[in-house]
Amino acid sequence: MSTATLPDASDREAADSRWAVETHGLTKRFGENIAVNGVELLVPRGCAFGYLGPNGAGKTTLIRVLLGLTHADAGTMSLLGYPVPKHRDMALARVGAIVDEPRFHGHLTGRQNLQLLAAAREPAAKERITPSLERVGILHRADDRVSKYSMGMRQRLGVAACLLGDPQLLILDEPMNGLDPAGMHEMRDMILSLVAEGRTVVLSSHLLDEVERTCDAVAIVDRGNIIRQGPISELLSGTSLVLQVDCSEPDRGRALVAATSIGAQIEVGPLGLGITLPAGTAREVIAEVNRVLVEGGIAVYRLQPIQASLETWFLQVTSRLGGPE
Amino acid sequence: MIVTRVMELRKRRGLMIALIVVNIGIPTIFLVIRLLAHAFAPKSYGPAGGYDIFSNLVAGVMYVFGFIVAATLGCTAGSVDLTEGMFRHLVVTGRSRLALYLARIPAGLAIVVPLVAIGFTIVCAVCVFAAPSKISYDGANVPAGLSRAGFERWAGDNPNVVLCDLPFNGPIAANVPCGPNGPQPSAGAAPPPAALKAAAVQIAGQDYRGYAKLFLSPPDSLMVKAGLWLELEAAIGFIIGLGLASLLGQRTVAVILMLVLELVLTPIFSTARIPHLSNLQRSVVGLATAHLEPGGLPLAFGGGGGGGPGGNGGPRLLPESTTVAICVILAWLVGWSALGAWRMMTRDA
Repeated sequence: MSTATLPDASDREAADSRWAVETHGLTKRFGENIAVNGVELLVPRGCAFGYLGPNGAGKTTLIRVLLGLTHADAGTMSLLGYPVPKHRDMALARVGAIVDEPRFHGHLTGRQNLQLLAAAREPAAKERITPSLERVGILHRADDRVSKYSMGMRQRLGVAACLLGDPQLLILDEPMNGLDPAGMHEMRDMILSLVAEGRTVVLSSHLLDEVERTCDAVAIVDRGNIIRQGPISELLSGTSLVLQVDCSEPDRGRALVAATSIGAQIEVGPLGLGITLPAGTAREVIAEVNRVLVEGGIAVYRLQPIQASLETWFLQVTSRLGGPE
Repeated sequence: MIVTRVMELRKRRGLMIALIVVNIGIPTIFLVIRLLAHAFAPKSYGPAGGYDIFSNLVAGVMYVFGFIVAATLGCTAGSVDLTEGMFRHLVVTGRSRLALYLARIPAGLAIVVPLVAIGFTIVCAVCVFAAPSKISYDGANVPAGLSRAGFERWAGDNPNVVLCDLPFNGPIAANVPCGPNGPQPSAGAAPPPAALKAAAVQIAGQDYRGYAKLFLSPPDSLMVKAGLWLELEAAIGFIIGLGLASLLGQRTVAVILMLVLELVLTPIFSTARIPHLSNLQRSVVGLATAHLEPGGLPLAFGGGGGGGPGGNGGPRLLPESTTVAICVILAWLVGWSALGAWRMMTRDA
């Protein structure tokens, strides 16, 4: 009796969960090396989530553990509210994933490879083969052998394979690899469209610019630990703001600003004054800088606040942790 | 899922061509050459079919080749998802790894069993329809396909041929001298025709067993049993190959090990008498399947001696009861399947 009611109870719990991915103390060791070290990860539903880290940080290992491709040594995890590995089959039924380089049977066509994968899913998956191929833009090559596909086409086929299960959660490991600029643009649009449909996309990538353009939230992983996670806007709001000022007398302008109580770090460069304001600085401070310069008789030609990019922030965070402590 | 697994294997063009060539092509080419040779030079080359050809093709060629072909397919089915990176995609679907493993068994058998059946059917057809209708045996033209009574009746009608050309052992009542043109009158009185006829019938009775074996097309019951035996051997080869390749995670080493098992270890362990190791020898699956060989076929592995009562006195199989043989086969099938499934369930994808 209890076994008969278990799936229903699990379904209710899964539907109630606000997290697409939730891990607590997740650990994976390879001998002495700890690839995933007590990871606490919370990925909200319905967003694009970037998972960033330097090479060897443990990004792919965490994904492999989440998907049951390798076992965890400690910790708990759930996908779409289903505890894994206990209800792994129910969780993965609505998950699509690309892990590492997407590889397929080269002697089969793209369509036949998808038929093979669809057969392992529910019967409706078979009906999704053609729409999936069309969505990723390789329907015209669907009946060619995969051995003739380029790397970019295999990436697209990998995404098509993800879509067979009508996934609520997509986990894409380096999906931009091998794509040309147009392909990257299309992939970005597709990820955004998937999110717009209410799906969750977890994106592991080295291309920070792409992640910044695509994702709503990120987690930074280093040496198996998640060191920061949250919405990009929140994370970047904690970074300094650089005010670039093109003016008639940069040296005098530097002295004028330094004499105020703004507390900025000021440099003179080829583009003029570079004023680094501390994190959380109010917008009024920018107007104050402008007022000080103008009242000092300096002509201001251009004044541009530059928020630190995700890449800059990522490098700051990881280099700080990578240095000797 | 089984249908798509069949498709995945069937689309491996090189492998399928090799399987067809070995399982169907080699026996077919052999029989076609014999048919043509007999058609163009019937006096020099005997008929393509008959019991003798059938039994040697089945026990000498199809038995070994069928196993090798099936094992190769099993090793391929057990390893390609891993080596070609598809195993990961399949695991991510959420389908249990055990189900993924088990689906390969009927899929592979769906290819192996028809291949063996087609090759065997061709052999049977040629051996039946091209069986000799008249045999020239040491110059004696003997009609084929006679029953014992018919053979004895024919001997009574042709005493000269029988007395002078057919082999016999022991004393014959009418021990007449025989020359190149039949019975020669001896110094004494010639034996009466009735005595010659009685002696011929006696010789025919003695020779019937050999005549039936050599001159008839293979009996239906033997063909059915031989076909099932070949299918059993192929199924064993496939399932063991699948389990071994799944355990090792690669094809090449698994195929080599299967070849060593079939071509080296099994022939040695089946006939050699190794002191203190006879029970270990009996645990070899090849010996067990050889013990299930239908009577009337020569011993597999070319050792002679026969799996059945018709053995010709060559090296004989290490004794093993049918029950033990069946248990050994089941143990191999279950054991290797369990090992392969366990590895696929615990392996990092």
